[in-house]
Amino acid sequence: MISALVNDYDEDGWRKCNVTGLDVHRSVENYVKLFGVTAVVALVVGGVFAFTVALTRWEIIGLLGEEAFYRHLSMHAWNLLIFWMVFMEIAILYVGGPMVLGRKLPLKKLAGAGFALMAAGAVIINYAIWTTSQPQEAPLLTAYAPLEISATFYGGGIVFLLGATVAALPFFAAVYLHYKDTTGSLPLVTFGAFATAIIAVQAIVGGLVVFSYAFLWRIDVIGSIDAALYRQLFWIIGHGSQQINLAAMVTVWYFLTHVVGGAEVFSEKVSRTAFVLYVFFINLGAAHHLLSDPVVSAEWRIFNASYAFYGAAFASMIHAFAIPAGLEAGRRKRGLGGGLFGWLTNGPWKNPVFSATIFSIILFGFLGGITGVVMGQLQTNMSWVRTLATVGHFHGTVAVGTTLTFMALVYFVIRVMFLKQLAFPRLASFQPYFYAGAMGVATILLMYAGILFGIPRRVDEVVWNIPGSDWSMLAAAPLITIFGVFAVLAILAGVIFAVVAVVSVFLGKDIEEGGNADLVPDGGYGVGADMEDGDPVHKYDVRGTFAITLIFLATFVAVYVLNWYVLTQLWQIGP
Amino acid sequence: MSSPLKPPEGNWWDVPVDRRESIYLGLAGIWSLLIFGWMSIFTRIGDQNPIGDTYRVSPEEFSENLSEYRENAGETEDGVLIPDGEDVYIAAAQFAWQGTPVQLETGKTYKIHLSSLDVQHGFSIRPEGNLTRQVNLLALPGYEWVIEMEFDEADTYHVICNEFCGVGHSSMHGTIEVVEG
Repeated sequence: MISALVNDYDEDGWRKCNVTGLDVHRSVENYVKLFGVTAVVALVVGGVFAFTVALTRWEIIGLLGEEAFYRHLSMHAWNLLIFWMVFMEIAILYVGGPMVLGRKLPLKKLAGAGFALMAAGAVIINYAIWTTSQPQEAPLLTAYAPLEISATFYGGGIVFLLGATVAALPFFAAVYLHYKDTTGSLPLVTFGAFATAIIAVQAIVGGLVVFSYAFLWRIDVIGSIDAALYRQLFWIIGHGSQQINLAAMVTVWYFLTHVVGGAEVFSEKVSRTAFVLYVFFINLGAAHHLLSDPVVSAEWRIFNASYAFYGAAFASMIHAFAIPAGLEAGRRKRGLGGGLFGWLTNGPWKNPVFSATIFSIILFGFLGGITGVVMGQLQTNMSWVRTLATVGHFHGTVAVGTTLTFMALVYFVIRVMFLKQLAFPRLASFQPYFYAGAMGVATILLMYAGILFGIPRRVDEVVWNIPGSDWSMLAAAPLITIFGVFAVLAILAGVIFAVVAVVSVFLGKDIEEGGNADLVPDGGYGVGADMEDGDPVHKYDVRGTFAITLIFLATFVAVYVLNWYVLTQLWQIGP
Repeated sequence: MSSPLKPPEGNWWDVPVDRRESIYLGLAGIWSLLIFGWMSIFTRIGDQNPIGDTYRVSPEEFSENLSEYRENAGETEDGVLIPDGEDVYIAAAQFAWQGTPVQLETGKTYKIHLSSLDVQHGFSIRPEGNLTRQVNLLALPGYEWVIEMEFDEADTYHVICNEFCGVGHSSMHGTIEVVEG
């Protein structure tokens, strides 16, 4: 079976990818597979706990007791929000760096060492969470000091982050070697991956500091820990890690819309400027976790949570135009679709790589992006923070955004790197629709439960019963019941993904020569090999994209105004 | 051909930006500045701002202040505190809101002194009659946050903890009785 997983390389370890036209070296491809498969393992583990967490919050079922609930919630958070994401992101760095640049993987031993450290860190953290027993508490994602959380957990965090740093070094080395050998600009995908890697370094430095601080406190090297300082340091990695997800996801959007949709780069200048804005401003946004906190001044909160005057939110709005515009122009250039939206409606919608990518772009923008800015305002944050609305926001970014994008990437890697046909092809085609639909509805319901009913996050029961109280938040019961149904459906869609992925890789049929022709819009060898002619891409009419982005801006304004309306119905708070 | 997998050719920086893209970017840029400006202006003109003075305070000191406040406060027949003046002390502790239940009046500005005696807690409050009117602030150990509140409607306001504070967290509940002033 293992031999079936090894591709045909020439004697120097190279092969030409028949989909992207890239020269791929065995060293890169093997590590991409290794990190990718490990990520899927984390997805499955985290997904199992999604099920138990959802069935607990669906309080009529109330699967878990309080203590178990926090443990399961911690497992869900760390495996999905951190391990699934970061293992995928290292794979993305190797694709965006050495693979796109047509190089071998430099510093291969460091890649291996980084992987081993990351895997060890992940195992330690899972072990620490699972073996939590009173008086120690489960960490959840945040491990907020001075809660009594095991030193093993913080130690595992340090090991994992060191591993991620080491694993990123071969990427930086590839870019460095590229510049030594050639002159000129990096390809956009490599540029995006480079921005992602810088953002990751910023985040990881914060993470190493905060977990070391807490670790030293837990092993009694330092006598006390400052809760406010912990929060400020923690969110450098806590939200910074999610900004890595964002930048990696946007990079993958440029990559996949190009390969399977025929997108071109609409404006190199505009897209690259947006990535540069990310590098400078995006991690400042972590401050929005401190908006309803004491200690930090209002000015500090406003400046930082606005990413310094919305430097990074503006960058995301740039990508929100640039990516669909690239798709529209590229497809119009190929004669694929007329009218206002023909370029989109006649896309390869049966291909789960395409549908998952497009759904994730739309849902991330409308659900995750808009709400992120709204809850990131100093005042409206008071209605959002620590309620289920927050959970809705980050399921809008991470579940229907990044996870769906990474699912697309996994389908793609199965086809072009494992060179396997997708098992259960009809089910695979259907899966992105099912997941995007169910998780999209679940996400919106979480937001409603938070904003309209103030249902808190991180509790096992509150709607039907608050232990020791004769009052509860029963008005939200119908909403939570509907949420429970959609959450279970979304998890079922996740199960389908995992089954398709695992069966395809290990039992799937090999793809014969030319068998991937359906993946690319031209059906030929390499994307756009014959597309040298024609007008420059920016000459093509992108009125469809213009219409979509105007709808997006109008939705943004409407959601913003509604949230401010809800806020101003409150009694007076503050001076 | 303009592929994101290949280095851009020629002088890509000077390639003109599409007219529609320029219009959209202009709108997005203006919107960014507008929402920044509104957030800042609202701190001056608005009635809902999470702004108040913060002081360092040890849990022991805050506990003493709370006891002193209790001694000076009145009490209803049901044992609900009636603060003597504008200062109201609330201490979060695993797993209770010390200083509740407390009776406050509408139309009177109170200074809520909020802190925690152990770990981080989320101060989440709403009137019983309208769950949409809810607000969430943080109680941090080691810090006292003095935040003003003036209630406009009489009702029972429920306080729950919405930051995980250990097993028992979901039972952490208190009330503020707001009566007509």
